[in-house]
Amino acid sequence: MAKKTVRRKKMAAAPAAKKPRGPMSPRDQRTMDQLAGLAESVIVAADKRRDPHMDIPTRALSNVRFNSAKRFIEMGNKTNRRHLFNLSQAKSFMQTMLVASGTKQLIEQDKTTSIRGLYYLLKHSIEGTKEETFADQGECDPVIEDTEVLLSALREELHLYAQKKGDMVGELILEDRGDEIDCSRMGSGGYGIPSIVEPDVIRFKKCNAKFVLHVEKDTVWQRFNEDKFWRTHNCILTHGGGQPPRGVRRLLHRLHTELKLPIYCLLDNDPWGYYIYSVIKQGSINLAFESQRMAIPDAKYLGLRSIDLERCGLSESVKINLNDTDRKRAKQIANYPWFAKKKAWQKEIKQMLDNGFKLEVEALISRDISYVTEEYTPARLSEQDWLD
Amino acid sequence: MTKKKVRVSRSRNSAPSQSENGKAPKSPERLRRRATAESMAAGQRDISVSEFFAKNRHLLGFDNPRKALLTTVKEAVDNALDACEEAGILPEIWVHIQRTTNGNGQDRYKVGVQDNGPGIVAKQIPLIFGKLLYGSKFHRLRMSRGQQGIGISAAGMYGLLTTGKPVKIMSKVSVRTPAHYYEIQIDTKRNLPEIINGRGEGVDIPPGQKGAATIEKHGIEWIEQDHGTRVTIELEAKYQRGRGSVDEYLEQTAIANPHVTIHYEDPEGNKRDYSRVAEVLPPEPKEIKPHPYGVELGRLVGMLKETKEPTITQFLVKSFSRVSPSVARRICEEAGVSNRSSTKRIGREEADMVYQAIQKTKISNPATDCICPIGEELILKGLHQVVPGEFFAAATRPPSVYRGNPFQIEVGLAYGGTSTAHRVTRETLCELIDQTDARTLRQFLSMTFDGIGPDAADKIIKEARMRTRISPGKLKAKDIDHLLDAMQNVNLDDGQTMNVLRYANRVPLQFQAGGCAITQTIMQTNWRAYGLNQARNQLPRGPITVMVHMASVWVPFTSESKEAVASYPEIQKELRLGLQAVGRKLGMFLRRRRRVKHEGERRNMFLRYLGEVAGAVSEINGIDKQTIYDQLLLVARRKTAEADVKLDDRGRVVDEDEAEFGANVLIVDPEDVNEQLLARAKASGGDPETDEQKKLF
Repeated sequence: MAKKTVRRKKMAAAPAAKKPRGPMSPRDQRTMDQLAGLAESVIVAADKRRDPHMDIPTRALSNVRFNSAKRFIEMGNKTNRRHLFNLSQAKSFMQTMLVASGTKQLIEQDKTTSIRGLYYLLKHSIEGTKEETFADQGECDPVIEDTEVLLSALREELHLYAQKKGDMVGELILEDRGDEIDCSRMGSGGYGIPSIVEPDVIRFKKCNAKFVLHVEKDTVWQRFNEDKFWRTHNCILTHGGGQPPRGVRRLLHRLHTELKLPIYCLLDNDPWGYYIYSVIKQGSINLAFESQRMAIPDAKYLGLRSIDLERCGLSESVKINLNDTDRKRAKQIANYPWFAKKKAWQKEIKQMLDNGFKLEVEALISRDISYVTEEYTPARLSEQDWLD
Repeated sequence: MTKKKVRVSRSRNSAPSQSENGKAPKSPERLRRRATAESMAAGQRDISVSEFFAKNRHLLGFDNPRKALLTTVKEAVDNALDACEEAGILPEIWVHIQRTTNGNGQDRYKVGVQDNGPGIVAKQIPLIFGKLLYGSKFHRLRMSRGQQGIGISAAGMYGLLTTGKPVKIMSKVSVRTPAHYYEIQIDTKRNLPEIINGRGEGVDIPPGQKGAATIEKHGIEWIEQDHGTRVTIELEAKYQRGRGSVDEYLEQTAIANPHVTIHYEDPEGNKRDYSRVAEVLPPEPKEIKPHPYGVELGRLVGMLKETKEPTITQFLVKSFSRVSPSVARRICEEAGVSNRSSTKRIGREEADMVYQAIQKTKISNPATDCICPIGEELILKGLHQVVPGEFFAAATRPPSVYRGNPFQIEVGLAYGGTSTAHRVTRETLCELIDQTDARTLRQFLSMTFDGIGPDAADKIIKEARMRTRISPGKLKAKDIDHLLDAMQNVNLDDGQTMNVLRYANRVPLQFQAGGCAITQTIMQTNWRAYGLNQARNQLPRGPITVMVHMASVWVPFTSESKEAVASYPEIQKELRLGLQAVGRKLGMFLRRRRRVKHEGERRNMFLRYLGEVAGAVSEINGIDKQTIYDQLLLVARRKTAEADVKLDDRGRVVDEDEAEFGANVLIVDPEDVNEQLLARAKASGGDPETDEQKKLF
């Protein structure tokens, strides 16, 4: 099948097939077969004068199930049928086919590109109109995720990666595409966690660290790095720039499962922070199909806690009032099945709602610049004072 | 008037007597009399009607020079039409307005209006044209354009006051008699005509060459006819086109009177003909007796005084419609008056009792066959003749009654005015640009195309990236292309508001739109339900023209100048029902049009994406792009064909039958609208000025 494709391809679009690649890896072969199957379904439908359609697994809260035995979110088997001859679906059908053809080109040429790169690769105006295939990247990204679940292929299997986000320092030596990297010698910048961290790209060589501390944002991470927290406490320090991208989550998962390191999270005391923890721990609703290799059910929530304003004696001015969206979001999170049965979490969320304000990790700086690294975090760790 | 003054002076006289009654005067001055009753009596005298109106000319529609010209033409034309219809002659009217020279640099115009009516008996001419409140129409209840008998004599009086020129009337009764010619002045003091020529007798104009010379000498014209009347009035006025102009009046008259032919020559020498589209006169309206509900106490007393009937019962039965002897008996019982009491003995109090009793007694509504509506078919014809559009609908309501007066409402609607701007072809546009004398492009756009106001013109010019004040003559071929593109791309539908044409007994009402029951009811009607945009209590927006005609034996005007219809609840209700009737049909039309457009978009959308999908599939599987595209296209055809049948607002299968609109709807192929525009441009004889007339609609 693949061979035939390459041959025909040369006739259809000459510039795309300039560099013939070597033999395809079994993984790429499998993805290519999936893609071919998708195209075949359209051909068959057209041949039978039927409306071509594709069944895309639903990526929504309604189609995820909390597996209490495995303790992470699993995707259900609900699907959304997308028709070509349906006014509201025609465009996204077309876009899905375009993404499929784009990834096929990438695999064929053995190239990897960012999702933004793919967006540019596929963006052109539709023949005879002023309409663009994709108006902006925001229109392209969900279609890429659709394609992932549709083909049950991981993003890296489609030769795609997301924008790199998140850094790491600590007592760890690893090998990244053959280069040895000592994460304890990364200066002030740290090691940028790549989007694809599968074993064929990154291999762990040596690890002296006893645990991983994941913080929410770059600014807090800088504080810990400057104070050499990871050295004094013998750990690995990561951040994910807010909601951690898949690379960071996958790396944390590998550190936890392969090196048996416990993961502690230091996040803001707001619904957003809770959700970041939830994603790290149980997996995200959107990417529930990847929970298996991303979720870390044993991750612990170190802080910030709703009681911290009083407990740490912070000044009143660090409070940020909750808005309506925050309240709504907090109530949603409290109702997630994986939080619903945890009394400590229910108490925590209720406390925040009662407080009527949220706290960022940076609020601890109002006590002292290094309060968070020298007192707050060590105290939580030694007291084993965390939420699970 | 006189009475009032007397009363005022009495109250002044009574002031000192009050002080005698114990109330001490505050200052000695109050005691001194400024005038005595006797000295004041010297200044108290009769005011003639003519004097009163000479001073209050605005009450009759002579507020300003521009309106004076319109009112003059209007009164003359209305009288001419009434006369022709009453005599059973298909009216043909000639209107000629000329600018006359005068020394002072003031604007003077000579208005000549001639009809092919029955003519007027020589003896009556001076009274009709030279005496205010003299006429045949006031004392009867019958549907006619004129009512009071003020109009034409007031116009003559105005002319006399402003230019000193008499009213010139020429009338011919039949082929056998010579035409008679009068020059008349109105004596404002006595409200009596004064004949200037022929020693107070007027002159006969002999037929043939000799007569023509006489006509020429007197500065009038005569279009040779077997019978007819021509009135010529010279007055101080101002001629201007646009809203409230003579041009507008004549055009609107042509819409509501499809049986009339009008020949019009304006001061600049442009000629325009409105030819009749109906060869049949409207049926003759019947005269009716007043209905008891419509009579006020004062009128009742007056009628009692005048009547020759001996008893009250006979009086009631003979003077009113719908009063049978049994109804009369019930009225008398209710009033506590003997039904055989003499009309001469009925005093004020009894009259009041009778009046109250009438209100309490149930009397059936007056006969409504006295009203002659234009008719739905002729409204459609008339509208289509003058207003370009794609969709026309008309509705005539059954007759109804307000305050004892029968009336009938008719509504006509034309939709799709923008089509002219949207669908104009390049050739037409070039021609129009060639012909125009507008100084700026903006002026050109708003003058030439229906429904383009200054706002919409600005939008187009902005879209075409041109300067607002550029002269249309200076546009190059490339600029015209840009302009055409812009005109087709800019959405103008929201930039214009509904154009309302109001009529009362076939006479256009051009002023005081805001105070008129018709406009008010249109604004209160919910047009959004029919697919139009409308702000709350505003006129709806869109390329739409609505004409509303109220026919009645007595139209309740808000003032003597007959500019607005008063808001009686019964009238408003009928108006609303009529508007809703045409609105529903418009709604159907718009929904269907939207649906067709929607389906077109739907098919287009699939076709647009099919190419991309075929490309992607061929990219992945290497199948030939064209093959898969053709196959998908077949599926698309089948799918959208299903949609053609299926898609309705309520999910019903749509029946593509015209009958769904019901009767009295006219749908014009949009392409024809373009031709219509071009035809009009040509009809104006290559003269651009007349283009502006179209703008009125």
